[in-house]
Amino acid sequence: MNYPFWDIPILGSGWVIGLIAIFHVMISQFAVGGGLYLPLAEKKALAMSDAKMHDAWLAQLVNHSRFFLILTGVFGTISGVGIWFAIGLTHPEATSTLIHNFVFGWAIEWVFFVVELTTAAVYYYTWNKIDAKLHLAVGWVYAGASLCTLVIINGILTFMLTPGDTWISVAGTGHEASKFWNAFFNPTYWPSLCLRTCVCASLAGIWALITASRIDGDKQPALKSSLVKWSVKWLVPSFVLMPFLMIWYYMMVPASQQALLALGIDTIGSGTFSVVTRMALVIIVTSATIVGVAYYLAYRNPVEFNLSHALAVLMLALMATGAGEYSREMLRKPYVIGRWMYSNGVRVPYVARINQEGYLSRSNWVWGSTGTGGNSASSYSRGEAIFRGECGSCHTLNGYRPLTQLLEGRDRANIGSFISMLHDYKADSPYHKFMPPMVGTKQDVDDLTGFLNAQVNPPGAQKPVQTAMAQK
Amino acid sequence: MSTNTISKPVAKANPLYDWVDERLGVSEMMAFARHKTVPVHAQSFWYYWGGISLFLFLVQCFTGVLLLVYYRPGAEAYESVRQITFVMHFGWLIRSAHAWSANLMIFSVLVHMFSVYFMKAYRKPREFGWLSGMALLGIASVFGFSGYLLPMDELSYFATKVGLEIPSAIPWIGPAIATMLRGGPEVGEFTVQRFFALHVVVLPALFIPLLAFHLWLVQRHGNAAPPSIEALPASQRKSMPFFPNFIRKDLAMWLISLNVLALLASVFPWALGKQADSLVPAPAGIHPEWYFMSPFEMLKLLGNILPGEAGEIAGLLLFTLGIALWILIPFYDTAKESGQRARAAHYFGLLAVVLLLSTTVIGYWATR
Repeated sequence: MNYPFWDIPILGSGWVIGLIAIFHVMISQFAVGGGLYLPLAEKKALAMSDAKMHDAWLAQLVNHSRFFLILTGVFGTISGVGIWFAIGLTHPEATSTLIHNFVFGWAIEWVFFVVELTTAAVYYYTWNKIDAKLHLAVGWVYAGASLCTLVIINGILTFMLTPGDTWISVAGTGHEASKFWNAFFNPTYWPSLCLRTCVCASLAGIWALITASRIDGDKQPALKSSLVKWSVKWLVPSFVLMPFLMIWYYMMVPASQQALLALGIDTIGSGTFSVVTRMALVIIVTSATIVGVAYYLAYRNPVEFNLSHALAVLMLALMATGAGEYSREMLRKPYVIGRWMYSNGVRVPYVARINQEGYLSRSNWVWGSTGTGGNSASSYSRGEAIFRGECGSCHTLNGYRPLTQLLEGRDRANIGSFISMLHDYKADSPYHKFMPPMVGTKQDVDDLTGFLNAQVNPPGAQKPVQTAMAQK
Repeated sequence: MSTNTISKPVAKANPLYDWVDERLGVSEMMAFARHKTVPVHAQSFWYYWGGISLFLFLVQCFTGVLLLVYYRPGAEAYESVRQITFVMHFGWLIRSAHAWSANLMIFSVLVHMFSVYFMKAYRKPREFGWLSGMALLGIASVFGFSGYLLPMDELSYFATKVGLEIPSAIPWIGPAIATMLRGGPEVGEFTVQRFFALHVVVLPALFIPLLAFHLWLVQRHGNAAPPSIEALPASQRKSMPFFPNFIRKDLAMWLISLNVLALLASVFPWALGKQADSLVPAPAGIHPEWYFMSPFEMLKLLGNILPGEAGEIAGLLLFTLGIALWILIPFYDTAKESGQRARAAHYFGLLAVVLLLSTTVIGYWATR
């Protein structure tokens, strides 16, 4: 626990990242897909022989590029910076590892960001002011730069799930950056890149439907019809390739994560399947719905396609994207960086040392944690600090994944044996697959037990049933 | 050009279609559907809620029949639901889909009712559409109430006990009605059997013909446009063909509803609590289902103002009067043009929305 803990009651700090990230992904992937959509649409318009349609398409693309510039340039960038703040506060240990390993990767990505933002502005502000071919070239530069940002960030995101054996072999030696390329082109890099590129194309079509829906179908039926139909076609590659890409991705994730998914699929019938499988189902069902809804509402009725229909498709896309990002996060459990760092920031090789020295022994941020220096902390406050450091990344006391509810009905002894089970972390433990071990000394286990017991069974409250039964 | 037109091949006849068409007159029905139009305006979105309600009802019929195969009313009710939920393959999904679609249907019916009300679609000649819709809502509420008890877990048991206090409060005949519904002085296995018969036989027998009547009326009179649109000259009013345009959009809405239902059923499966035990005290925070929360809370609030039997009677009278006024609104607000009655009906609708929402929120706040 090298850093102070950022306590977000009820919601939990993980969801702060989650909410910002889902919002950001919806826009940033549009920034990449839209980067391809705009020059391709412009090229199509320039090649049109019908002068009226040519002019109408270009006029509509001016509108769409303004919407694109505002959405990606303002909301995309703000939420991107928001993620930086959120991960730095929520997962300082993991962020530190990523920065130490990928600092040049990120530097390159930021260069592409600058190119991306500049060309997006140039593209919009030079409509009808520079030569058409040059304008189109600006569009292609934007497309290339935005695709490069995805190419880079994808390496960092996939590294967190599958850092690869080569990087793991040097992790903790101080020479991690020497294996930059191994870490970057990790086992899930290519399937993830293909998946995300397909999603970007879909989002380009879906966001384009928003602006196309605003065209007055009574006044410009031919324009609206052609643009809506062309935008719907951007969803096709994703829905044709998605099943194959998902299988490819599944084959590249570690065996333990494959087992988690396989177990989830096996237990669908009995209803006990894991959250990650539920979320995977949400992605599949919602993606299929998007195809159906886009077909019935947009492709077959392009002229009558209005903003509320477009928003319905967008909301479904938001649901699928949210579920996708959530399952990606869940699939990483119990790690935040595969096989190297647990989701609560404890490095895997440090477990034995912490078990010997105590969780708070090197925690400078915990007031009086060591019991020395005249400010001896009580067992309760040590327990609270351990709860925050070891449990708080995934659990809250009374909100998201609430421990008071999950431990309800247990007395002190029962809570203690549950925590001991997490501490022992035996391979056959049902929690082994998705929860990190509880690390620390016996005293730490006792402190945490005392703190949690005080929350679950506050003094003066009715005793839990199990205790009453045991006393009989 | 004319030669091309003449030589253009005529669409090949489909022998199977012709065979069916000759016997059932499909072409005539299609021609009728194409001829029929649906108004297009800023409030067209609200037209889909009737279709969504119908779709959710169909889901309940389908899942209900599957549940019927394994459900055993009476003393084994809880055990059979436990088996459905935890032993039968995909039983949890069918049960969750049934429970969630029931709640979503009540929600969509309420949205449909208020949209009809505020579009003044109850006016001549659609009075029977309004009345049959109200009857359908009433039966749907009883569907919900009777279905809620069937698992016989702790929550459903005590919520039913609380819910049956409402008919008990009716002067003179109330206790007799409550006893008849319970099948005895207390909620027990006889109540489950009665509620089960009501849920799977009596209510569907009433609901389905009434629904057919309601749908027939919609086909006969078409969708009503809001008064502001109807006041426009015919040349300024827009519409779309019912078939295939409106049907395609309706299908898209059904797909979205199915998606929402699938998400809720799989991500938030319907829970099964502990087995009901009449000897243990009711757990804290017991309350009726969300759609009964408003009347429950209104009666409670009135009981606080007028304690005792007088409060109960006053509450019931006031509540009955409110419902009667609501049902009879087509006979009060009859004029096509905007007038005092139209405005009064509009404000009455707003009052109903505010009362429903506020008492529901207060009810949940009080039982949290």
